[in-house]
Amino acid sequence: MNRKVRTLVRGVFLALALSAVFSASASAAPSWNFAGKALEGKETIMGGAFESGLTLPGLTTKCENFLYKLTIENSGGTGKGSLTEMPLYNCTTSSKFCTVKTIGAEALPYASHLSTVSASNYIVIEGVKVAILYAGELCSLGGTTARVTGSAGGLLDNVAETATFNAASFSATKTELKALGGKAEWTGVFPTEAFEWHREQALTVS
Amino acid sequence: MRKHLKRGRVVLAAISVVALAALGLAGSAQAKLTGEFTKFQFCPYTKAEVRRCIYSPTTGGEVKLGKKVVPIEKEVVLQGGYGEEAETGTEAGFAKFYEATNGVTLSKAAQNVPGGLAGIVPEASSPPLVKALIKFFFENKITGLTSTLELAKPASEIRVSEIHLAEEIGVALKMPVKVHLENPFLGKSCYVGSSSSPINWNLTVGTTAPPKPNEPIKGTGGVTEFFEEGQILKLKGAELVDNAWSAPAPSGCGGILSFLVNPIISSQLGATTAGNNTAKLKNDIWESPALAVKINNEEHP
Repeated sequence: MNRKVRTLVRGVFLALALSAVFSASASAAPSWNFAGKALEGKETIMGGAFESGLTLPGLTTKCENFLYKLTIENSGGTGKGSLTEMPLYNCTTSSKFCTVKTIGAEALPYASHLSTVSASNYIVIEGVKVAILYAGELCSLGGTTARVTGSAGGLLDNVAETATFNAASFSATKTELKALGGKAEWTGVFPTEAFEWHREQALTVS
Repeated sequence: MRKHLKRGRVVLAAISVVALAALGLAGSAQAKLTGEFTKFQFCPYTKAEVRRCIYSPTTGGEVKLGKKVVPIEKEVVLQGGYGEEAETGTEAGFAKFYEATNGVTLSKAAQNVPGGLAGIVPEASSPPLVKALIKFFFENKITGLTSTLELAKPASEIRVSEIHLAEEIGVALKMPVKVHLENPFLGKSCYVGSSSSPINWNLTVGTTAPPKPNEPIKGTGGVTEFFEEGQILKLKGAELVDNAWSAPAPSGCGGILSFLVNPIISSQLGATTAGNNTAKLKNDIWESPALAVKINNEEHP
C-alpha cells in the first residue's frame, strides 16, 4: 500500500514537472497582443527613441532622432517582425574632435522575433548593419566608416509600452553588436505604438 | 668712463639677446609630445604627405617557417606614418608608408629559435667538413640560435589599408620582410629572404585563404579604445595573420661553407613554399591623425 502511494505521488510530481516544462517552453514563444487579443494579420508599429546612444569603448555616439518602423505579425504562435526603416538624424559624439558625417541603416529589412527569458519578454532584432562615417581632421576615426553589425535584444515592458535596449537586455538575449572589431554597446528606450488598425490600443506581449 | 659703461651695456644687451635666442631655439628643439601622443614621437608627422601616425608593438604570436616555429617573445615595434589611400589602380585602398624619423620603422628583436643550432644544423647528419667545424660550437656550448625579423625593402614599400583593418576583411598590411638567423657558426649574413627576393607578408585581421596543406586561419581587429578625447585610437589585442606566403631558400649561412650549410638548413626547414608557412602577430595598433600629433607637439614647446 505504501509503495503504491509513493508511486502515485511520484507520478503526480512527474506530471506536474512535465506540465511546468511545457508551460515554460510555451511562454518562450510569446505573441503580439492588442487590447488583450492576439494580433491577427499585420500591424505597423513605429516611433522615435526617447534617448539612444551607441558606445564604442571611449567614444559615445548619440542621435537626437532615432526612428524606426516595424511590421509585426504572429506566425505559428510566435510574434515576429520586420524592421523596414530606421532613420537616424542629428548625431553627435562624446569627442569634441569627432563629428558624425553620415549614419544610416544598411541591408534593411531586419528580421525580428519575440522571446521570453526568465519570465521577461524581449524583442530580438537580427542582421543589424549600421554604417557611421566619422569626420574631423583631428579625430582618430576621421574619414573612417564604422559598421555596427550583429543582433540586438530589447526588454519589452507591457505597462510602459516600451522596448529598452541596454547591456542587461543584450546579455539576457545573448545578442551582441560589434564595431571596429570590438564590442559596441547600444542603449535606447523605444515606444511601441501601433499606427494602423490598432491605433491607440494597448500593445502587450505575452 | 661713461663711454665704457655704454659699451658694456651694449655688450651685455647683445649677450642677453644671443642667450634668449639660444633659449628660444632650445625651446623649439625641445618641443615634446604629451600623454599617449608620445607613442608617435618617431612619426614623420611634419611631412605633408603623412596623413596618419601608427605605432604597433607586437608582443606575441609566432612565425612558422616550414617545419620551424619561432614564438615571438620579445617586442617588435612597427612605427611611422602613412598617407592617403590610393583610389584607383592595383593599389586601390592601400596607403603608402613613411619611415620612422629615427630610422627604426621595424625594430629588431632577436627571438630564440627552439632547438637552437642543433635543430637547424644537426651534427649527426652533416657532411664531415661541417661536422668538424660545428663540433667546436657544440663543445663550447655556442648553440643558441636567434631569428630576427627585418624589413627586406625600404619602409616606403609597406602598404596599409585602414578599410580592411576596420572591416576585418582583406589585406590590412603588406610588408616585405626577411628573417635573419644568427649564431657565430652561421656568420652574419644568414638570411631567409632578401631585398631582391623578399618574403611578402599580406597580413589580415580577417580570414586567410591559403593553399594546402595550410587551412584558413582568422585574425582579429581587437577591441577599439579611444584616448586623448578621440584623437588617438587603439586596437587592443589585434592579431594580424598570413599563412599563404612563400619563402626563398636560406642564403649566406655558414660563411665560406655556405654552399654546404645552406642546403642543410633548407632541408631542416622543409618545404617553405606557399601553404607551409604561417605568421601570427599579436599586437596593439595605435593610430592618430598626423595633424593631431603635430598640434600636440606645437602646444608643448
